Amino acid sequence: MQAREDILFRVRAALGRSDRNRHEGETDVQAAFAARAQGPRPQLGADLAARFRHECGVQSSTLDEVAALADVPAAVARYLAERGLPPRAVVWPKYAGLPWAAAGVEAEARAARDEDLVGITGCFCAIAETGTLMTCSAPDTPPSTSLLPETHIAVVPVSRIVAGMEDGWALARAELGELPRAVNFISGPSRTGDIEQTIVIGAHGPYRVHLILVREG
Amino acid sequence: MRSQAMFFKARVGDKLADPVLQENLGKAKSKFVDARARAVAEYERDEGADFESLREAGRAIRNRTLANLDVWLETFEQKAGERGAQVKYARDGEEICRLVVEIARRHGVTKVVKSKSMLSEEAGLNKALAEAGIQPVETDLGEYILQINDNEPPSHIIAPAFHKSKEEVAELFTRTHGRPKKSGIEEMTREARETLRSHFLSAGMGISGGNFLIAETGSVTLVTNEGNGRMVTTMPKVHVVITGIEKVIPTLEDFATLMRLLPRSATGQHISNYVSVLTGVKRPEDLDGPEHLYFILVDNGRASLLGTEFQEMLRCIRCGACMNHCPVYQTVGGHAYGWVYPGPMGSVLTPLYTGIANALDLPHAATLCGQCSVVCPVKIPLPELLRGLREKQVDMDLRPKSERLALRLWGWVARRPSLYGLAAKLAVRYLNWLAEGRDRIPLLGIAPEWTKGRDFPAPQGRTFRELYAERRRREGR
Ligand code: SF4
Repeated sequence: MQAREDILFRVRAALGRSDRNRHEGETDVQAAFAARAQGPRPQLGADLAARFRHECGVQSSTLDEVAALADVPAAVARYLAERGLPPRAVVWPKYAGLPWAAAGVEAEARAARDEDLVGITGCFCAIAETGTLMTCSAPDTPPSTSLLPETHIAVVPVSRIVAGMEDGWALARAELGELPRAVNFISGPSRTGDIEQTIVIGAHGPYRVHLILVREG
Repeated sequence: MRSQAMFFKARVGDKLADPVLQENLGKAKSKFVDARARAVAEYERDEGADFESLREAGRAIRNRTLANLDVWLETFEQKAGERGAQVKYARDGEEICRLVVEIARRHGVTKVVKSKSMLSEEAGLNKALAEAGIQPVETDLGEYILQINDNEPPSHIIAPAFHKSKEEVAELFTRTHGRPKKSGIEEMTREARETLRSHFLSAGMGISGGNFLIAETGSVTLVTNEGNGRMVTTMPKVHVVITGIEKVIPTLEDFATLMRLLPRSATGQHISNYVSVLTGVKRPEDLDGPEHLYFILVDNGRASLLGTEFQEMLRCIRCGACMNHCPVYQTVGGHAYGWVYPGPMGSVLTPLYTGIANALDLPHAATLCGQCSVVCPVKIPLPELLRGLREKQVDMDLRPKSERLALRLWGWVARRPSLYGLAAKLAVRYLNWLAEGRDRIPLLGIAPEWTKGRDFPAPQGRTFRELYAERRRREGR
C-alpha cells in the first residue's frame, strides 16, 4: 500500500495536482469514455470479403469457401486428407452439433490438450483490413483450441467480416456487453524472426491456419 | 540489472573490434529498416491512409494519459479490480522481485514461464526468482537463447538475440538440449518449441509484460508473433503482469489506432500474429485461463520524468524503430549501451532512470542525424532530448575540464568577429598543410583521438566569410 501512495504522490506532485485541476482530469476521463473517438482509418471500399481474402494470403493463411455451415465438416475432411493429416480434431463446443461423423471426422468438443493435432474454432468476427480473426473466450469458445494444435482451422461467416478493429469493438459492446476474459486477434500461423531476423513459420502456436468462409448467415 | 553504461567507450572499442558481431550486425541491420519502409508504403496505398496523421494521433493518445496520469491510473485500477484482478505497485526493481516471489510462494509455484518483459530485465527478476528456489523459463525464442547462454543480457528490445548468428545458436542448443546439432533455422525453432512446450504445460505461473493497459476496460494487451504471450497467459493458473505506470491508454479505439502504428514501426508487419486483450480472471464455467491475475505497476524512475522537459520520453511504445534506424546502434550493437534499453531511446532513458552521472557517454553516442525522431511512431523528439541531457551534464558540472576550457575559449573568440576570421583563416591553412593536397586528413595533430577511426575532411576552397564578402562585392552592396 505504501508503494502505491508513494508513487501516486510523486505523480501528483509532478503534475502540479490541485482540487481544481483534478476535476479537469476526471472530466477528461469521462469525455474519452463517452466519445470513444476513432483515430485516422483507411477507407477499404465496399467489398470487405475480397479484401479479407487478399490479406489472409499476406498472413500465410489458406482459404476455402462453402455455401452453408453444414458444409464445413466435409470441407474439413477434404483439407485434412489433402495434407495427409488424420481425420481427428478438437472442436469448439459451439460447433459440436455440426455433422462431423457424417463427414468422417472424429470431433471432440472440449478445451485443447497438448496431443491434439488439429483444432477447429469459429470467430467472433473477422477483420478485413488485416486478414485477422477476432476470437472471444467463453465456455463454448475456449482460446486453447486456436493455440496448442499444429493445425488451426477456423470457420468465418462472410456476414461477420467487418472493416477494422474498431468495428470489432463496436460489435463486442453491442453483443457481449463487457469484454470476455480473452479477446485474441489471430493473423495467420505463429512465427518468429528471432534467429538472424529470418522469418520462420511455426513458433509456439500453429504451423498452419486454414480458414473456411461460409457464405450464408 | 546493474547498469554498465559508464563503460560505454571501452565497450564500443571491443564491439568494433569483434569480427563476429560486426558480421551479424551487418546481416541484420537493413532488414527492419526495409520492412518498415515497405509497410508504411503499403499502408498508404489505401484511400485516406496517411502514416503521418497516424503518428500524430499516436502522439496525442499517449500525451492524453500522461497529462492526468494519476486519474487514469486510478480509473484503470478500479476497472481491473471489478474484473477480479489485483493491482499492486512497485517503486523499484527490488520491490518487483519481492512482490513476484511473494505471489509465487502464496500459490505454491516452483516454475514460472515468462514472455518478454523489459521491466523484469530492469529488476533482474530471473536472478531473484532463482535465488528463491523458483525456476524462471524465458519463452520468447530470443530471450530463451540468451537465458541458456548464461543469462546474457538482450541487445535489442524486440529482437533480444539480434547480435547472434545461427551457428552460435546451433552450438548453444546442442550443448543445452543434448540433441544432435541442427543447421537450419526452422529445425532449431522446432527444437525450441518442443523444449518449451513442456514448460508451458507444467509451470504454475506466467509472467508477461504489457504493451498497453486500457483504462476503459481494465485490460492488459499483449502483442507477439510466436504465440508465447498467449501460452503464458492461458495455460498456468496464475498470471502476473509487470509493466510501467506510463503504459495506460484511454479506450479500445485508441488501442486500434496504436496497433496500426506499433507492428509497422517495429517489424514492418501490418499486424502482429497475436494481439491479445486480456481482462480479469477465468470465469467459473470457462474451460481455460488463469484463476488469479496480478498487475505490478512500476515507477522505477518514470514519475520523475513527469512535468519535466523529458516527459515526452514516456510516450515510448517500445517499438525499436529508433535503434533500427540509428547509425551508431547499427555499428556498435545493443550491448555497448550497458543497460536494458539500447539505441537512441536507451541513451535517453538510461541516464534518466539510473542517474545522469552514471551514463555520461550515452547522450553523446549520437550523430544527431535525426532519423530516430523521423521514424518514431509517437513523435518523440529524441535528438532534442539527447541535447537536453548534454546541457544537464554541463549544468551539473559533469563535463571534463579540458572541454569546458576549450568551449569558453571558443566562445570568447566567436564574440570577436575579426579575431574569429583570422583564426578561421589560420585553421584552414593548418588543415590544408596537414592534408598535403589530399581531400582528407588521416591524422589530426591537435586531436589525434578524433581520427582514430575515421578521416577528417580537408577544407575545400575558400572560407564562407571570403565567399560571402565576394558575393556582396559582386552584387555591389
Ligand atoms: S522512442 Fe519511439 S521509435 Fe524508439 S522505441 Fe520508443 S516509440 Fe519506438
